[in-house]
Amino acid sequence: MTRIKITIVAIIILFLFLFAAVFNITVIESRKYRLLSQKNCIRLLPQMGSRGKILDREGNILATSKLSYDFMVLPQSQSQLQKIFDEAGRVLSVNPKNLRDAYRKGFYASTVPVTIAKNVGPKRAIVLGELKQDYPGVIIQPNPVRDYPNGRTAAHALGYLNEIDRWRLTKLEDYGYKKRDIIGFGGIEEKYDYYLRQEEGGLSIEVDHVGRLVRVLGFKSPRNGKDIQLTLNLKIQKIVDDNLAGRKGCVIIMDPNSGEVLALASGPNFSPLDFSERNNAAINSYFNNRDSPMLNRAISGTYPPGSVFKPVVAAAALEDKKINLNTTFLCKGSTLVGRKQFNCWSVHNEQNLIEALQHSCNVFFYRTGLLIGPQSMHDYALKFGFSRPTGFELPYETSGYIPSPLLRRIHQFRKWYNGDTANLSIGQGDVLVTPLQIARMMAVFANNGYLVTPYIVKAIDGRDISVYQRRLMNIGVKKETLNAVKEGLKRVVSQTTGTGNVLSGLPVAVAGKTGTAQASGGNSHAWFAGYFPVKNPKYVVCVFIERGGPGYTSCVVARSIIEAMANQGLI
Amino acid sequence: MKNTKIFILIVALLIVTCGILSIYSSTYQKEGELWRMIYRQQIIWVIFSLCAFFVASNLDYRRLWDWTYFLYGLSLFFLILVFVLGIVRLGAQRWIRIGWLNFQPSEFAKLVMVIFLAKYFSKKSTDDISLLSKKFGIFRGLVLPSIFVLIPMGLIVEQPDLGSGMLLLGIFIVMLYLTGVRIKYLIILLVVLLLPLPLWWHYLRDYQKERLLVFLNPNIDPLGAGYTIIQSKIAIGSSFIFGKGWLAGTQSQLHFLPESHTDFIFATFVEEWGLAGCVFLLSLYFLLIRKGFSIALRTNDQFGKLLACGISLMLLVQLFINIAMNLGLAPVVGVPLPLMSYGGSSLFITFIALGILVNIDRRRAVF
Repeated sequence: MTRIKITIVAIIILFLFLFAAVFNITVIESRKYRLLSQKNCIRLLPQMGSRGKILDREGNILATSKLSYDFMVLPQSQSQLQKIFDEAGRVLSVNPKNLRDAYRKGFYASTVPVTIAKNVGPKRAIVLGELKQDYPGVIIQPNPVRDYPNGRTAAHALGYLNEIDRWRLTKLEDYGYKKRDIIGFGGIEEKYDYYLRQEEGGLSIEVDHVGRLVRVLGFKSPRNGKDIQLTLNLKIQKIVDDNLAGRKGCVIIMDPNSGEVLALASGPNFSPLDFSERNNAAINSYFNNRDSPMLNRAISGTYPPGSVFKPVVAAAALEDKKINLNTTFLCKGSTLVGRKQFNCWSVHNEQNLIEALQHSCNVFFYRTGLLIGPQSMHDYALKFGFSRPTGFELPYETSGYIPSPLLRRIHQFRKWYNGDTANLSIGQGDVLVTPLQIARMMAVFANNGYLVTPYIVKAIDGRDISVYQRRLMNIGVKKETLNAVKEGLKRVVSQTTGTGNVLSGLPVAVAGKTGTAQASGGNSHAWFAGYFPVKNPKYVVCVFIERGGPGYTSCVVARSIIEAMANQGLI
Repeated sequence: MKNTKIFILIVALLIVTCGILSIYSSTYQKEGELWRMIYRQQIIWVIFSLCAFFVASNLDYRRLWDWTYFLYGLSLFFLILVFVLGIVRLGAQRWIRIGWLNFQPSEFAKLVMVIFLAKYFSKKSTDDISLLSKKFGIFRGLVLPSIFVLIPMGLIVEQPDLGSGMLLLGIFIVMLYLTGVRIKYLIILLVVLLLPLPLWWHYLRDYQKERLLVFLNPNIDPLGAGYTIIQSKIAIGSSFIFGKGWLAGTQSQLHFLPESHTDFIFATFVEEWGLAGCVFLLSLYFLLIRKGFSIALRTNDQFGKLLACGISLMLLVQLFINIAMNLGLAPVVGVPLPLMSYGGSSLFITFIALGILVNIDRRRAVF
């Protein structure tokens, strides 16, 4: 078979070719490569672009980058390194041994300088820079570091920066993320990291035996990240953060007509600066704190809504025509459902729908809930956007849970009793919602029947992206129904017997609903959700204080927020 | 016949030894126990592989004829499995985990493809026991086998592992030539493959495009993809005739060269052993491949003949692509240097292939 023989000849030629190629670079071009290798003379100097800024709706800076100086050393002989560490240890007033450990930990490849100390501050950077005279391997690298000029304000909406973890690395490797990259965690920093992210560039240079630059071999220019403008209003955000004052809970202020979130605060909060400055003690305290300051309660926390859920039940009842505005129930302080007694928080006597909302009468809603049935309440709750994520942009949003007989059977293999219906109708039992869902539900009443999709990003890189946000969705509830419920919400504040009367007397008329949600073990949660001004509402507000006691607590917080906003002319 | 077995075993073990020396040299200074012990793992793999070699050399290779379709199906199954539960490593999903070991199904697919093609082209007519492949028309001679090759190839390229995919294609083309299919068909195949080349560009991943561009000019990205090529050339170029000596190579020792124990082990080896070492290594490979072809020449059985050719080709193509890549003559694609690179699957499959080779030589007297 001649073809095999031809192939063998071809193979011999291939091998000769390989040999020739090796011969070429080992012998003929050997001088060039030998020189390159002997001097070990290629150095890579990375240069960072700066990460995109985060701005509020008026262009105030929420997060930006500032310069910090890193002290780096090129890998070189041990004795030389020891001298450098001794000198640098004196300047930085740390034990040279620590620097040595930092070097050992940070060593990556012989061509790459090792970072010994981060964030050395401009003064020390200059002193260390003078070491360069004696030790050419010392590098002072200016580095952009994330800065949050407003401290803890809006910490949860912004997120923080940290070194990439293993889980994210495997996920993002294909998108050009590398080990030791600094990426965003939580909030906008994480969600829009891809846009904010700068591109690393750098020089590959040839140096001589003492580390002096001989020539530049290649250069790739760094690229800055894109700026992101948020819908947050820094002034309102500050008011909100100040009033929450680190208490467990959260406050959301949203535009009911568009879904723009104007302020979002969750407490206790954290300082994103601690992460960029690698303040390890503070970081550890955040993660070990039992009050979980890293949790964004507004979107990731689920809580029983209690009475703030009642407007939904009221709307469902009117829509189903099970009651009308003249229907009354007698509140004697409690009612029997089956053989069990269900209590109201007071004795209200005869109540119609509007009065029941005003006084937050449980008995009225027990009876109403039993009339319309659990499935209908569940369906209306879903129409108002519960039990699923709102579509908000920040990561780690949870969906909450609205029980129904069917779901109960599927998930828990248990039967549904009338008592469960009663619990559902006052927002207790298995009902779980996020504060943002409550704000969104309130917005439906404020804007006359439209479900909004909350959003927080206004523009990326100067391009307005709010046009890409989802449109408002008509949930198909009759106008009369909405007006009746709104009348109730208005009276909650305006009538002296209303549960939210503390909010009256402000420069602006407020409507809303309070909630005191019982939670197992301990104090109840305090809710207030409402909107203002009552005519043509501009803001929806949701205040939630975890274990804050009665709804009154939240009303007081809401009052001081609205007062401050009015004083600063923001309404 | 006994001689063939001993010859192949000695040559293969010499190459493996060179490999282990280089793996040790390039990793013994690294941080971490795991890195420093990596050469031991390779030795364990060699022992496993030797067992496989002896089993394969004593197993009648004619049985492979019967198992072909099963093996083909199995390799497809593994390749699909990679997508389902593969491990992502170095940006590509090429490995699956079986027990405690990571297994790279594309290695297995290479060998199975060779067996499959060998069977396909050595079927005989039931009327007059003449070879069917001589009478194949364009459909049975070109289109059908192409389809059979393209399925696993597509799966491998999707992983994405462009190198192994191209390797499969290379083996296919040369085997087609060796089977005696008309030259006309071969030319048709080449034209069909080469004409839409610009179109293929769009299907490449970004990093693959980058590598191809960097191959044309390593200096466009000196920090990223071009870095490896530059460092590998420096490693080889600075070695001169006798090299820098074992454990004294500066490029690989000081970790200038990434992947110095796997894909770029040739550069590591040459840096320390020089042109002389390179000549020694290339001769060993040449002897091995030449032996494969001489076995093919003296075997009367068509299946055995093609199988022997295919196995030798498999070694040759991998060897060539890998060394060319080390020398900056081919784009950087993940193709290991058979018998030398660190990696169990490749070693294991190569030894099985060599075992089959020995067995072909042993049975040729039967026919």
